[in-house]
Amino acid sequence: MSLRSLDENAAAAARSAVPGSGRQLVELNNVDKIYPNGTIAVRQVDLAVSEGEFISFVGPSGCGKSTIFNMIAGLTDHTRGRLSVLGTTPRDARTHNEIAFVFQEHTLLPWTNLLENVTLPLKLRGVPRKAREEEGRRALELVGLGDSVKSLPRQLSGGMKMRVSIARALVSRPKLLLMDEPFGALDEITRQTLQDELLNIWQNDKRMTVLFITHNVFEAVFLSTRVAVMTPRPGKITEIVDIPQPFPREETFRSDPQFGEYVRAVSDAMKFKPAAAGERE
Amino acid sequence: MAKPMPQEALTPSVRRGLNAPSAGESGKSVAFDPFRERLQQILPPLAVFVLFVGGWELLVQLLRIPPYLVPKPSDIVKAASDNASNLLTSVSTTVMEAVVGFLASVVIGTLMAILLALSKTIEKSVYPYAIILQTIPIVAVAPIIVIWFGAGLNAIVIISFIISFFPILSNTLIGLHSTDRNMTNLFDLYNATKLQTMWRLRIPAALPYIVAGLKISCSMSVIGAIVGEYIAGIGGGKGGLGYAITVATNKLHTPYLFACGLSASLVGICFFLLINRLSRWLLSSWHESEMRH
Ligand SMILES: Nc1ncnc2c1ncn2[C@@H]1O[C@H](COP(=O)(O)OP(=O)(O)O)[C@@H](O)[C@H]1O
Ligand SMILES: [Mg+2]
Repeated sequence: MSLRSLDENAAAAARSAVPGSGRQLVELNNVDKIYPNGTIAVRQVDLAVSEGEFISFVGPSGCGKSTIFNMIAGLTDHTRGRLSVLGTTPRDARTHNEIAFVFQEHTLLPWTNLLENVTLPLKLRGVPRKAREEEGRRALELVGLGDSVKSLPRQLSGGMKMRVSIARALVSRPKLLLMDEPFGALDEITRQTLQDELLNIWQNDKRMTVLFITHNVFEAVFLSTRVAVMTPRPGKITEIVDIPQPFPREETFRSDPQFGEYVRAVSDAMKFKPAAAGERE
Repeated sequence: MAKPMPQEALTPSVRRGLNAPSAGESGKSVAFDPFRERLQQILPPLAVFVLFVGGWELLVQLLRIPPYLVPKPSDIVKAASDNASNLLTSVSTTVMEAVVGFLASVVIGTLMAILLALSKTIEKSVYPYAIILQTIPIVAVAPIIVIWFGAGLNAIVIISFIISFFPILSNTLIGLHSTDRNMTNLFDLYNATKLQTMWRLRIPAALPYIVAGLKISCSMSVIGAIVGEYIAGIGGGKGGLGYAITVATNKLHTPYLFACGLSASLVGICFFLLINRLSRWLLSSWHESEMRH
């Protein structure tokens, strides 16, 4: 396929002509994760992520997507293999505040307002109040919530809570943004709006790399420069599909025949392993 | 927002809440609820109360039961008003003891729970003993306290403290352990220290549990004070309700005995209502259990 002949960084390069993009950001070599209870969550995972990429992970639940993210974020240690993030260990990268995480649940603190929620990472780091609030307003502005800084989370819809959650991740200007099924609980229209907004934010920030978990193949294709397809038992990345469609991607891309091609390629990759067949959702 | 930071609100506000003049506060809360709804809530229990008291009065009168066995409500009211100043002294003494015992248990109970929650090792080694101590009946412990601290205020406050301490400790501890896993992950991700996670996440998230503990403990502290007085009672005119009860029993002054018992339960109810108000004030903005609809 001609698509495959493209350099793996081509898509990233297509969106930003910044020299130096293409630096290796995350690298997994032969990584295994066995939980203390003996569950082999992932086995022999290889992955190289370059700066500025947007990589989606698709696969049935239980195939280890969250496990890979948690290892990259340093929330859990890997069992075997080599894992480096931003040229260092995940925990080290994390302590330098280079990694941000968006969970499927919005994980907002219900007792404080949006601004306090969004600026939490800065507060924990001891950033002074004034600088903190400036950054917080900027981040809320990015997700279109600039004028509800004083609202409490419970006054918001699911989509808006997710926006706040994203704003909180962006407030520390992370180099690497991990998103674990962020839009999974949202309705289709909200989901598409947030996809557009996320792409916008990512494109405007030339050096942010996004790793994104989803069950939704359409979502993965629309957003990503590459899609990593995973299969369970044990969890493994079986194929990485390039999506060399240039950015910005307009709504029309969703109805483009090319879009259908990519979706088919990813779906085929998911079906390939007989082991995965019974697990599909 | 206008709501206080939960961490600041934890212990100081408990003190504030208890000392706050209750009349001013209740005026505020009536304004929240439509008057009619309030009336519909109050009317049924009020009707039962009137029927019960009326029936009691009538029945005792008809059956000619002597007041030292079963006093009529009117006898009780009379006994209370005849001894009003004594009763008031007893009530205020008991309230003072219970408040001090309760506050001590709030401060020490939450601090100890936080300490246990910070370290698994400490928790595992200390908490079992807290449970064992809790199972020893207070009437067995009280005489020992009296022997150690002398019959008087100290012993009574300590007994009140002991009996109201455990619900706060255990509830707070459960609350501190029930923080959402995703939330703790989030704090880990942002390199929060143990103390930051405790202060900014675990304690505020535990507030509903802590408040539930306070609700149990505040009534217990009154019981503790009365048991303490009962056993360690102070002679003279300054004794609390527990002491007044022993004296009234010895004199077979049953109507006054009833008046003392009712006063004790009234004190307990007032404590509970105060804590209830505090709970609403702390949680109404964000927690389901106290949200107004
Ligand atoms: N903390 C844990 N302890 C033990 N097993 C776990 C833990 N977390 C996940 N697992 C197991 O590891 C496998 C992969 O889980 P996960 O990474 O959450 O998958 P996914 O995110 O793709 O649904 C599953 O079989 C799951 O049951
Ligand atoms: Mg998952």
